[in-house]
Amino acid sequence: MERIVVTGLGAVSPHGLGVERLWKGLRSGRTAIGEVNLFDATRHRTQLAGISETGEVPLGAAARRLSRADLFAIEAARQAFADAGLAGAESRADAGVFFGSSTGGMFEGERVFFDNLKGQQKSRTRARARMWAAQPVCSPANAVARMFGLHGPLETCATACAAATMAFESALESLRSGEVSLAIAGGSDGLCEMTHGGFNSLRAVSAQPTRPFRADRDGLNLGEGSGVVVLETETHASARGATVLGELAGAGSSCDAHHMTAPQPEGLGAQLAIERALQDAGVKAGEIDFINAHGTGTLHNDCAEWNALCRVFGEGAGDLPLTSSKGSVGHLLGACGGLEAVVTLLCLRAGEVHPTPGGGQVGPDCPVDLVLDQPRDLPEARTALSLNLAFGGANAALVLRGAAPGASS
Amino acid sequence: MGLKPLAEALRRGQQPLAVVDRSRGYHRPSGARLAGLMACDSFEPWLSRRTARRMSPASRSAVCAARMALDAAGLSATAEPDGSTAVCLGTSYGSTNYATDLLHQIQDPGPLGISPLLFMETVANAHAGQIALAVGATGPNLTISQREASGLLTLARGADWIRVGRARRVLAGCVDEVSPILHAILDRFGALARSSSTEDLEVARVFDADRNGFVIADGATVLILESAAEAEQRGAATLATVAASARANDPSASVSDWGAGHVQLARRLTGRLKAQGVDLASIDLVVSGASGSRRGDRLEALVLREAFGNDLPVVLAPKAVTGEYGGGFLASAFLALDGIDWAATPGFRRADPELDLTPHAGEPLARPERILVTSLAAGGAACWVVLDRSTA
Repeated sequence: MERIVVTGLGAVSPHGLGVERLWKGLRSGRTAIGEVNLFDATRHRTQLAGISETGEVPLGAAARRLSRADLFAIEAARQAFADAGLAGAESRADAGVFFGSSTGGMFEGERVFFDNLKGQQKSRTRARARMWAAQPVCSPANAVARMFGLHGPLETCATACAAATMAFESALESLRSGEVSLAIAGGSDGLCEMTHGGFNSLRAVSAQPTRPFRADRDGLNLGEGSGVVVLETETHASARGATVLGELAGAGSSCDAHHMTAPQPEGLGAQLAIERALQDAGVKAGEIDFINAHGTGTLHNDCAEWNALCRVFGEGAGDLPLTSSKGSVGHLLGACGGLEAVVTLLCLRAGEVHPTPGGGQVGPDCPVDLVLDQPRDLPEARTALSLNLAFGGANAALVLRGAAPGASS
Repeated sequence: MGLKPLAEALRRGQQPLAVVDRSRGYHRPSGARLAGLMACDSFEPWLSRRTARRMSPASRSAVCAARMALDAAGLSATAEPDGSTAVCLGTSYGSTNYATDLLHQIQDPGPLGISPLLFMETVANAHAGQIALAVGATGPNLTISQREASGLLTLARGADWIRVGRARRVLAGCVDEVSPILHAILDRFGALARSSSTEDLEVARVFDADRNGFVIADGATVLILESAAEAEQRGAATLATVAASARANDPSASVSDWGAGHVQLARRLTGRLKAQGVDLASIDLVVSGASGSRRGDRLEALVLREAFGNDLPVVLAPKAVTGEYGGGFLASAFLALDGIDWAATPGFRRADPELDLTPHAGEPLARPERILVTSLAAGGAACWVVLDRSTA
């Protein structure tokens, strides 16, 4: 089976535009979570989230019909293509797009809806009504495919918080089968009032910056942005002399079939997803050097995730360095798997794992080896696991490898 | 409920239309009025009233369709707990009824009064999650949302999973529900069939020169996919074999409409099928995803003409009966393969000279051995699946 390699990275996160800003923010150990300014958050139970800025791609009139999530996706894809040396339209025309998203352009849809309810002037409502076109959840993937002139398969995975991770799984299959030799995979989501209010209605949101895996954790913070990678077959990358940044070695997924909003407490479903990803990658559990956990900071998630890790890694689970990017940028919902895959590859490239912001003791019910305060050096780290658990019981895991020292194609 | 009413509607060429609730003030006074609405307020025996109360209309349809499919396949109502049963469900818009209600709650009484149940069901993968819960499917659980191509994409992806061993059995299909707000928005975008100055009738005129939009519909279709060896081993009747699939994008499509990239799409279609050993000359029948959309039907016709040349087989246009989105299209493809009687395409009166394509005119059809099912979506996505009639 041909290796599927990573040749480009792109990120829009609450730390800023680009992977360098993301990495700098993550390394600093500070959180980018702050006050929500997109809507009147004072009406909600909590007011914090990780807000991202949109990119500066010169889109002209086309931007008028793009949602924030579309703009995040386009900017991240632009970075990733440039990083991969695929700035020319011809070089990427046959690429497939495999994207995860959960809300698409819901934020813009909400604005139109509320304007209508308030009886706003018709001209304003009409102007905003065209934004409904960008409301569907597939809108970010469509925007990327359209803006970059891509003719390959187009697939939006809408599996909530596991969406982007499952998009990687789809991309992997399409690359391995020969359907495409080049793909862009990841996710994009924008914050909207519906999800902020909805997660608050579930009492899943913390009023403070989230504290994944801590004893006093009390919920997540939402976030927004995009994380994207360029994937290609090793043959394709080699033929064009691309620099290999890493490898998508395997993917696996499962469903708890237990509860719509709560994880299976023993982590059985997550265990299955991890084991399948390891098997798919041909990697033994003992070869995993660190974990980028789903790590939402909710009582139930972090505990279920720890139980899943114990089932897979046995007594060694507590010795595996583990981080939660959500502690730094918030929970990007359908995009989190995309951004966290980028982060995992950045960690492998740097030979260190970024810290999870926030103080406090690790919870006795989830005694992971949480990287705290400052980056942890792992110069020998070669293989890592990125895990995401979602609404509806969906679980998905990726096994990622760093580039071999001095590697190019 | 079930395949029989659908087969009967296709045989008669009748669109089961009803008037959409326009009382909430979303619609223009002169806007479209009709949709294909499920005339069903009880889902028993597939779903108890008590359980149904905790689900959106889309989730109810999806769970019922899943249970019906398992039953029809002779499988247990509860999957084996070994992670071998997967769900791959498509939806274009999810539960827009519940999403509307949630938005109203945010406005009044305010965000603190939001119902967790409503929120849960507005998440796009709620319907796939509900299927997994209902039948104990612990394998991969994927929701694909790519507008009009969502359903067919799940069939292609589900077949991939079987081939590479990610699942032993896949419940694949699609679901959507009609809500007043979705109906009104699509109407404002000019997507829906509407009355003309000479005719007070909203009809999807698929491939017709006077087509002016599609009719939306709700409902769900779920299919059981498994390997031929698996089906044979358990003595199951095989309805069809997925012989090949192809996926593509047309980047010339606008945000909410179809593009004009028929040459590239046709090239991708023929190339991908050839790579899988399928020659278009072996296709007996096309089950087209054309819906009556002005640009969508144009693109579909031009792709088929480009790919098949002068050897285009009979083209069925089931969305003239089933409407768009509801899953009826996917089920119709299997009914076509089964060789049911099929009425002339309702609503078709006058060929469009640019398209040079007349859909099925009602002549008797030989039972096809191999069909091509097509779905081109607004926004650019495209999917094609080749189905072979089972010889088992």
